[in-house]
Amino acid sequence: MNKRTIVFSLMATLITLSLVFTGACSSEEGKPKPGSLKDPQEITLNLGGEVVTIDPNRASWSNERSVIMQCFDGLLAFNADLSLKAMVAKEIPTVANKGISSDGKTYTFKLKTNVTWSDGKKVTAKDFEYSIKRMLSPDLAAEYASFYFAIVGAENYFSATEKTAAEKTALRNAVGVTAKDDYTLEIKLNDALPTFINLMALWPSYPVRQDIIEQYGETWTAPPHYIGNGPFVLQEWVQQDHYTFVRNENYWGTKPYLTKVTYEEITDINVCLAAYRNNEHDQAGVPAGTEKAIMADATLSPEIVRYAQLTTYAWQFNVTKAPYNNKLVRQAIATAIDRVAYIDKVRGGVGKPTTSWIPPGMPGYDANLGSQYAFNPTKARELLAQAGYSDPKTLKIKFQYANTGTNPTIAAFLQAQMKDNLGVDLTLEPMDPKAYSALYNSKQFDSCFTGWGADYPDPDNWLPQLYGTNAGNNKTQYSSAQFDAIAAQALKELNETKRLQLWADAAKIVSDDLPMAYIFNRETFVLKKPWVKGQVTTGMDGQIAGDMFLREIYIQK
Amino acid sequence: MLRFVIRRILWLVLVLFIVLAITFILMHLVPGGPWDREKALAPKVVEALNKRYGLDKPLWEQFFNYIGGVLHGDLGISYSRSDRTVTSILMEGLPKTATLGVLAFILAQALGIPFGMAAALKQNSLIDYISVLFATIFASIPGFVLGILLMIIFSVTLHWLPTSGWGSVQQLIMPVLCLAALPAAQSARITRASTLDVMRQDYVRTARSKGLMENVVRVRHIFRNSLIPVVTVAGPELANLVTGSFIIENLFAIPGIGRMFVQGIGARDYSLIMGSILFYAITIALLNLVVDILYAAIDPRIRLE
Amino acid sequence: MADTARIDVVAVRPHHTIWGDALIRLRRNKLAMAGLAFIIFISLAAILAPLLTPYGFADQNYDAILEDPSSKHWLGTDQLGRDTFARLIYGARTSLSVGIFTQFIVLCIGLPIGAIAGYAGGKVDNVLMRFVDVMYAFPDLLLVILLSSVFRGTFFGGSIYMLFLAIGLVAWVNISRLVRGQILSLKTRDFVNAARAMGGMGNYITWRHLLPNALGPVIVSITFNIPRAIFTEAALSYIGIGVKPPNPSWGAMIQDGFSLIFAKPYMLVFPAIALALLMLSFTFLGDGLRDALDPKLRR
Repeated sequence: MNKRTIVFSLMATLITLSLVFTGACSSEEGKPKPGSLKDPQEITLNLGGEVVTIDPNRASWSNERSVIMQCFDGLLAFNADLSLKAMVAKEIPTVANKGISSDGKTYTFKLKTNVTWSDGKKVTAKDFEYSIKRMLSPDLAAEYASFYFAIVGAENYFSATEKTAAEKTALRNAVGVTAKDDYTLEIKLNDALPTFINLMALWPSYPVRQDIIEQYGETWTAPPHYIGNGPFVLQEWVQQDHYTFVRNENYWGTKPYLTKVTYEEITDINVCLAAYRNNEHDQAGVPAGTEKAIMADATLSPEIVRYAQLTTYAWQFNVTKAPYNNKLVRQAIATAIDRVAYIDKVRGGVGKPTTSWIPPGMPGYDANLGSQYAFNPTKARELLAQAGYSDPKTLKIKFQYANTGTNPTIAAFLQAQMKDNLGVDLTLEPMDPKAYSALYNSKQFDSCFTGWGADYPDPDNWLPQLYGTNAGNNKTQYSSAQFDAIAAQALKELNETKRLQLWADAAKIVSDDLPMAYIFNRETFVLKKPWVKGQVTTGMDGQIAGDMFLREIYIQK
Repeated sequence: MLRFVIRRILWLVLVLFIVLAITFILMHLVPGGPWDREKALAPKVVEALNKRYGLDKPLWEQFFNYIGGVLHGDLGISYSRSDRTVTSILMEGLPKTATLGVLAFILAQALGIPFGMAAALKQNSLIDYISVLFATIFASIPGFVLGILLMIIFSVTLHWLPTSGWGSVQQLIMPVLCLAALPAAQSARITRASTLDVMRQDYVRTARSKGLMENVVRVRHIFRNSLIPVVTVAGPELANLVTGSFIIENLFAIPGIGRMFVQGIGARDYSLIMGSILFYAITIALLNLVVDILYAAIDPRIRLE
Repeated sequence: MADTARIDVVAVRPHHTIWGDALIRLRRNKLAMAGLAFIIFISLAAILAPLLTPYGFADQNYDAILEDPSSKHWLGTDQLGRDTFARLIYGARTSLSVGIFTQFIVLCIGLPIGAIAGYAGGKVDNVLMRFVDVMYAFPDLLLVILLSSVFRGTFFGGSIYMLFLAIGLVAWVNISRLVRGQILSLKTRDFVNAARAMGGMGNYITWRHLLPNALGPVIVSITFNIPRAIFTEAALSYIGIGVKPPNPSWGAMIQDGFSLIFAKPYMLVFPAIALALLMLSFTFLGDGLRDALDPKLRR
């Protein structure tokens, strides 16, 4: 080779190498470059809604999760892609590592031995046993207790509200959760339930301190008694005003970069945006309808963070009330909704139209399911005629909904859709949220608008609860013996492929019968300041975007 | 006078009982309870919750238990706020709402009354027109519109004031202005109307014809008598302001009673609702008492009967 | 010697009742007339709405969402592509009705109660005022939510009559206190004593003498109450009790515009200005009425 070739090769190599290096180190979601961290590492976020309780055993709302997740770590946790990972547990129990018995009914968790509470005491299996039994206690009335009724003796213990103290203690001791030793926890189930493992990543199973609760009773959730084993400690809580978290200096895991996190309590979304623009908050949601304008704004548009949520919104029909008891009517209505126009034009593209129940990003999602209900006004009118309504004006339908958020807009949209595409008169009945919930839960509604969000990413959190005969969240009163049979099988099926196939079959039955017209999946749309880095968002975040992984965030100079 | 006050206080107790009874009935007639939500709780959970908070007892028993508690100073616990006692919640919110209300009231009267009187005394002059104009403008803009406008100007654009929250003096400025706008306008207009009224009275003419100086005429005769309608409206206005303006508190994220109360209704938090009403009713009744006493002080022809 | 010719020529003051005299004075007040004219103008626009705009208030057009004012849409469009001008005019119907009809209820209840309390005094006054205290301690919000749910199943449904009743039933309290206060102070004035001396009985005195004089501040109060009723309707729409969609009202449009203030400030500005102008009109009219009814200004 001559000199020129050598020089060129060297330069090419150098250039390539430098490109590779910068590529590896400049990622937004990567680790911070040394010397680039701002001092102090603090962030202010908006929680926007007073919590009812931050006691992990009793909590159920998403804003409560936002607080609890910072202060506690459970046996297991979710990764960013919503797969499970071991947290306080050494590893995820499986049949292979003998963590799960071969009949699927006994789970054995081995705990890490270095896990500590923020005051230095060690976290043991006894803490978990106490916590889970407390969560199932009839006197506590924990809202998510019913999720754990798969555990032996759980339901009996929880229902013992009228029994004597001695009887309650006996029932408590009969609950199938035992700390075999300081670092081994054994849980026995009534029946095999492959998705049970997800429940060990949810907050009602987080450990709590028996000694503190026995000493302080209900007031243990106020700092300084609110002791947890998570990356942050709640230092101050001024009710209705703000929460201040500081880094847990005794944290057993990798300490977070942030030394201080503040949650404020601004409830008006317009003020949130103003506070963000005034640099008081580092992240903010935006009022519905302003997304397009924000995307067009030169300063704000680079600060947008958007990602899909695991939620689906549907027009739910009470299948026992005429005319919704006629399947063709339901199908006609579903085919008359121009979902794409709604999302693209009215919502500025924020969200995703959908014709099926399970959202994208979850196992069991099928993009083609329900495609026969894609917008087609001609077909819709035919279906309606087949249903016996050749003159659409004779069809009178009612629609009830909670008059909050974007519901009025979508209700007005659906009303216009029914009029323009089907010629049908839809009467709207807006209601106050509690009154609406009461109506919905009592199954007295005609048709309504409700969504569902994932507690954990699996079809068994989405299908049997809503479509099983007499299931707790089945308000449409849909009932199909076929569906029930498949669901019963799927819940117990230990073979993962077979299990998902069973759920797919069940979903297809629901799609044909169509007790609900599916409309869209929601998308989170927030603004985030450019100096906030390392954010990890998931479709199952709590009230605040990225709050499942605040420990990963760092502030750049 | 003392007899009058004592009798009124006894009436107050009866009034409070009736108010609590009616509220209790209304609350339970409104559809939806504290545990209703879209993602329904399991029926067993709802049962357990009702038992825990005594909501499974018959209504009349719940009401009498509540009254019994009140007589002992116990207003129950709040189900929507971590089981804290209603008393502690109200005590926390009260100073904030009261400060806001009292400051707004003072500002409103300090602006309204002088402008109203000046406008009347110099009727059809520049000051008259300006006062009427401003009074009308402030009465035409809903409080929350004024609030967001102020926020956009002073926080987002000029960065002079923080948008919301409680604690510093700067955080007080915008909410107090918004809250005071309508009452100030109302005070100004009513003062102007009644001053004009008084000015035409015969006794004013008499005083002037007696040769009294204009100032003396004003102070001794005009001012005192003009104030009666103002006091009538100011009393309830102060009560309103002190018991909390939900919209302003919500907008500026002020942790006061007004905001808590309406959130309590939304959450069907029965003890918080009852406790807030109790507080609200006592404040109104006491303020009414003060207004009636002031009437007698201002207008000697009114005897307290 | 008396000059008979002169007597014929001497002008005799024409006899007007207090109300007839008021009308004359009102007509002379330019601002009040302007206000009245605007109110009539808006009312006509509301009634003749279909003639003034080709768009219906519910016509949605997804290709024209949140547009600025243009020749096609004079005041722009909202988040569902509905024409803002059309909604403003049709909305005037709702807002005007709410404002005016609630005051009828307020007067029907508040005026008699306040007048009787003020004039009768003593036990009657006490009982009525304590009843007022009880009413006053009531949170309007709760009462309105209750009423709407009770009526939900009946023929009222979510209709506007229920709204009138709910707002009116809560708003009469202030008027009664005002009337009572006025009457208390007027009761002891000379002309009342004079009327009594001439043999006038209780009711006669109240209606013929006290009320017209007490009316001044009442009228001022009513002119403030009308837009307040409209604001209340806006607050109620927020909780889900208001006119049934898609019927527009200015209050609801202000609420909607409020959320869109960062995207399209027009959405808030137009209904707010409309409301402010209407308020100004009622105010000037109210001022004029007050001046017109003031007996001291009689000629």
